[in-house]
Amino acid sequence: MIRIRDLTFAFPERPVLWGLSLTIEESLTTVVVGRSGIGKSVLLKCITGLLAPQSGSITIDGEEVVGAEKKDLLRIRRKTGMLFQEGALFDSLTVFENVAFPLSYHKLYPADEIARKVQDYLELVGMADYAQAMPRELSGGMKRKVAVARAMILEPRYLLYDEPTAGLDPSSAAVVEAMIMRLQAERSITSLVVTHDIDLTRYVADRIALLEDGHIVALMPRDEAFHPGSPVYEHFIESRERIRQEKVSEVQ
Amino acid sequence: MARVRSEAAGEWLHAASSATSMYGNFFYWLFREPFPIRQLGDQIVNVMLDAVSVNVVTAIVIGLIMAWTAGWNSLKFSVVNWSGAATVYLLLSEAVTMFGGLIFAAKIGTAFTVEIGSMQMSGQLDALRLMAVEPVQHIVIPRVLASVICLVFLNMLSQGAAILASMIAVRWWFDISFTIFLQHVFEVLRHPILTNSYIRSAIMAFFISINACGLGFYFNGGAVELGRTTTKSIVLNFIVVISIDCLYGVMDQLTGWSAI
Repeated sequence: MIRIRDLTFAFPERPVLWGLSLTIEESLTTVVVGRSGIGKSVLLKCITGLLAPQSGSITIDGEEVVGAEKKDLLRIRRKTGMLFQEGALFDSLTVFENVAFPLSYHKLYPADEIARKVQDYLELVGMADYAQAMPRELSGGMKRKVAVARAMILEPRYLLYDEPTAGLDPSSAAVVEAMIMRLQAERSITSLVVTHDIDLTRYVADRIALLEDGHIVALMPRDEAFHPGSPVYEHFIESRERIRQEKVSEVQ
Repeated sequence: MARVRSEAAGEWLHAASSATSMYGNFFYWLFREPFPIRQLGDQIVNVMLDAVSVNVVTAIVIGLIMAWTAGWNSLKFSVVNWSGAATVYLLLSEAVTMFGGLIFAAKIGTAFTVEIGSMQMSGQLDALRLMAVEPVQHIVIPRVLASVICLVFLNMLSQGAAILASMIAVRWWFDISFTIFLQHVFEVLRHPILTNSYIRSAIMAFFISINACGLGFYFNGGAVELGRTTTKSIVLNFIVVISIDCLYGVMDQLTGWSAI
């Protein structure tokens, strides 16, 4: 379980999160929704120790991340895998080498064992046919599938997704959504997804948290979240209306 | 106007602090396991392949220019036979090393800044950290060490190419025989001129690559900022190359160590 208590994070020029508390339950998919630039990606980076919050506590399976020593942090990070917004594949490596990288760098298995594992994970995300392709030859959706395979190959307990469908066309986004669902169903991985994509949220979420003004203002099961009147529902409707009005005024 | 000036000053301050931070990080991670030997090999190949043609072509052009300049000026003073010696001395002591450093900063330094900056922008450095891989160790150290090794070798190659070009040029333009030219070459080589130029190019490569990697590594922003950072990388490294060349020359003059 990931438990976040009273988290405060600020960049020198502006505060981002303050007093944020959230618990990520085992074997469920929690989706954090909120406007762009509200601090969703910052939250993920704080959980993985890539950013150091000013105060608060983040525990992963009871181990404290905030203020952890580097060697402890490396150990704790092994429990989490993260899918970055653009996939963050290494441009100079093939798909196979990208997925194999964490295992081969740390020499965790013999070469043939690594090859077998990579093949398994590429099959799991439906990318086995592209093992020798370079990242530049892949579409946005394919890159993200490979990135998920790479994040999963160390067999983390928790998978964190940073805007997994951002910038994808609807059909690629649907493929990514289906993959998240499949991983959840087949591997019972605990997932934390941050997004402002209503379709993704509808499709994959077990619980939905609404991030506003630096903290979680609502946390509820999916069925409740999409009822008219709920804060999450209002958030999505309000966002759509605001965007629509902005577009109309732009045209005018 | 004042705001623009203070923003520009702030950007340069950030660039300077990025480069400076990288020096500490480099030495901290250099002596920690695992040593990135495979990445070092890859980078040596990459840097050599990327830089060899442009460095050698530049050296040939410089060799021709020096031969022409030295030959014409020697003719004026009726000492044309010495134009070979003057050319060789200018090439080996100064021109090839300094222009080689500048070309290396432009070609390889900017490539490092853009490559590492775009890795930072796309989250690849964070992805490495999450896989328990230290990016300084995996990305920066191999590039810096490869640069030091490669620029010394490139300097040797460039010197050879420049000497060959100038030898043919003075034979063609001023009718100085290969034998006389080569005698002058060996005369000049009695001084520790080559050792000096290799030490100087190794120092240049070290500073160029650390500055370039540091600027990319601590880069923050989008495509426009990456463009600006790359410009800073080349300007900073040009200043560094010229400064190292001057300082090394002055130190050598003051201490006279190379004459020992």
